[in-house]
Amino acid sequence: MWLTPGPDLKAQEALRWGADPSGGAPYVFNDPANPDRYIGYEKEMVDALAQAMGRRAEFVPSDWETLVPALQRRSFDVIVNGLEPTGDRAQVILFSKPYYIFQLQLTVRRDDNRINSLDDCKNRVVGTLGNTAASRLLQQQGIPLSTYADPVGAYRDLELKRIDAVVMDVPAEAFYARSNPKLRQAGPPFTRGQYVIGLRKGDTELKAQIDAAIDKIIIDGTLETILKKWGLWNEAQAEFQGPIRAGTQPTKVEEYTNPTTTFNWGEALWRLTRAAAVTVLLALGSMVIAVVFGLPLAVGQWKGPAWVRAFCTVYVEFFRGTPVLVQLLFLYFGLPVIGIAMPGWLTALVGLGLNYAAYESQVYRASLEAIPTGQWEAAYSLGMGPVLAFRRIILPQAFRIALPPMTNDFVSLFKDTSVAFAISVWELATAYRELANASGQFLLLGVAVSAFYLAMSLPMAHLARLLERRLRDRATERVTEEATA
Amino acid sequence: MIRVTDLRKRFGDSEILKGISFEVPPQTVLGVIGASGSGKSTLLRCLNGLETINGGTIECDNVRLEAGLSPPDYRRRVKDLRLKVGTVFQHFYLFPHLSVVGNIIEAPVHVLRTPKQRAETEAYELLESVGLRQAARRYPGSLSGGEQQRVAIARALAMHPALLLLDEPTSALDPRRIQSLRTLLRTFVDRGHTMIIISHSMGFLGGVSDNILYMEGGVAVEHGPAEELLNSPKDDRTKDFLKQAE
Repeated sequence: MWLTPGPDLKAQEALRWGADPSGGAPYVFNDPANPDRYIGYEKEMVDALAQAMGRRAEFVPSDWETLVPALQRRSFDVIVNGLEPTGDRAQVILFSKPYYIFQLQLTVRRDDNRINSLDDCKNRVVGTLGNTAASRLLQQQGIPLSTYADPVGAYRDLELKRIDAVVMDVPAEAFYARSNPKLRQAGPPFTRGQYVIGLRKGDTELKAQIDAAIDKIIIDGTLETILKKWGLWNEAQAEFQGPIRAGTQPTKVEEYTNPTTTFNWGEALWRLTRAAAVTVLLALGSMVIAVVFGLPLAVGQWKGPAWVRAFCTVYVEFFRGTPVLVQLLFLYFGLPVIGIAMPGWLTALVGLGLNYAAYESQVYRASLEAIPTGQWEAAYSLGMGPVLAFRRIILPQAFRIALPPMTNDFVSLFKDTSVAFAISVWELATAYRELANASGQFLLLGVAVSAFYLAMSLPMAHLARLLERRLRDRATERVTEEATA
Repeated sequence: MIRVTDLRKRFGDSEILKGISFEVPPQTVLGVIGASGSGKSTLLRCLNGLETINGGTIECDNVRLEAGLSPPDYRRRVKDLRLKVGTVFQHFYLFPHLSVVGNIIEAPVHVLRTPKQRAETEAYELLESVGLRQAARRYPGSLSGGEQQRVAIARALAMHPALLLLDEPTSALDPRRIQSLRTLLRTFVDRGHTMIIISHSMGFLGGVSDNILYMEGGVAVEHGPAEELLNSPKDDRTKDFLKQAE
């Protein structure tokens, strides 16, 4: 803590504020006309606040999920990112007074007449941002949800029918969904909540300055101008700002509901266990695909005609030469452009499977090539055809050679399932990120998640070693067996 | 039992077999001798279809393999020929993942579709005759060279071949075992088998063969009864070779 200068020293300098600009319209985002520049209503609001405080605003681009830990690490002084004052956040950070009243909006596909309110969503998957008022509301009502890192992904998956509805804060909904002809609003906005500015515990002096600045830009109409410019001024804002401007503070904060969840370790472990099951299924499924596709690839590259060899080589080099994360993103976001939209879990299964097929094929090829030509000739001279010789004589021997590297690959595939978090698959790494972000328990949950991974990968490695040894020692085992018999 | 007529084999521009002709009568052993590079190994690989022949014919027990057939026809004939010709390789090439019995019944069960039970009974009889019944459940990796060879012989004979080929069968054996191999092979000949044996060991071939074929430069130089050819060769090239071999 004493390594970086405290906020007091910074006071004369810039007011550093953190927010997630990725998919962050209309809060703060990259100006499409000039991507080096950040724009947004909150950007303009912080500029106004800083001016009111006699300071200069400095934007620190960050990641929504890790805003709170980043604030605590002093990456910036305040969070201004449509932050809701939830109970669990209140335990770790300080809140300013509210500056905006948000509502939630349910959006569905235009041609989908089944859903007209949240009550129609009981058995459908609803997309929203992780760790928001919307996600907590859905959890509370027991509606299955799929969480996203930004609104763009959620609305795109809605269009692609990967999910059936999206619940989003009105500002984001207004910017990303309202003008989309394929989507429609399902019912009026509902729920009211506040956006506040987040500060580190103990920064009470800064809080006082910020509260005063918020009052100032509300009273002098600056905030109203900004919100109107961005199309965000509505009845709720008028109701909220009215009393402040009339000087009858404090506002009736308790009117606005803010669903909060307290962190529950039992619940967390249960969710981790489910995520672990997803991880195991993902790893097993991908490995099956890798093994099934790897063998024809290996044989094709080894004995196939020239064009088959060329195809297999291109396949292998492509999948080995590009990161698996990029491949998954391509499959998930790129393929829908040509009409192939797979759900996240299937994308992860296929993506990891195809990727590891490239690695497995090389293991198989090396193993097959390691079998002496004499084994083929002996099989042929006994009247076997190529297929029978391959299946009965070559493959079983090659399998023994391939087993140790296959085990290695499986353990590494098992860990690689964590990249599936990039496409919203709820596996262990995603679970860790979300639970830790929601609770701030990065250390304890990290230990728990590592324990989960080890609890699965260690027995697997052990089992594989046992199998290997049994295959290798079979000949000698038989000898001792007979010697003792 | 086998008749080879004007057999030719080329590798690129060099002709390794330049028109070989011979016949092996049933229940006899033909020994093939010749220096390294004389083409005797290539001859063996042509007889079991591992090399594609470029000229001539190989006839064995109603199967006639000839050069110039269409590739599918040729492949079919090769398959038929391989069912008639068994091979014991110089390095045996036992299947290391299968037990001794497994090695022997593999082809009868999966190629000839012999019921497993019967194949095993026959395998045990064969193992009995090569003196390895007690090793039936062992794996090739735990057998000595001589034992592996006898398993390889049993494996080849399990397919009831009309002709058995043996490539350098004495290379891995000490003198005592060479003697017992000779006895073993003659026993099988007495039971009706026909063999072609390639060997460098004149002593071994002299004792086991009925006829000897001397090859040099891809040509069958001299072919005659073993006793006669080894003791009083007619061709000068045979004489030179035998002199050097002593």
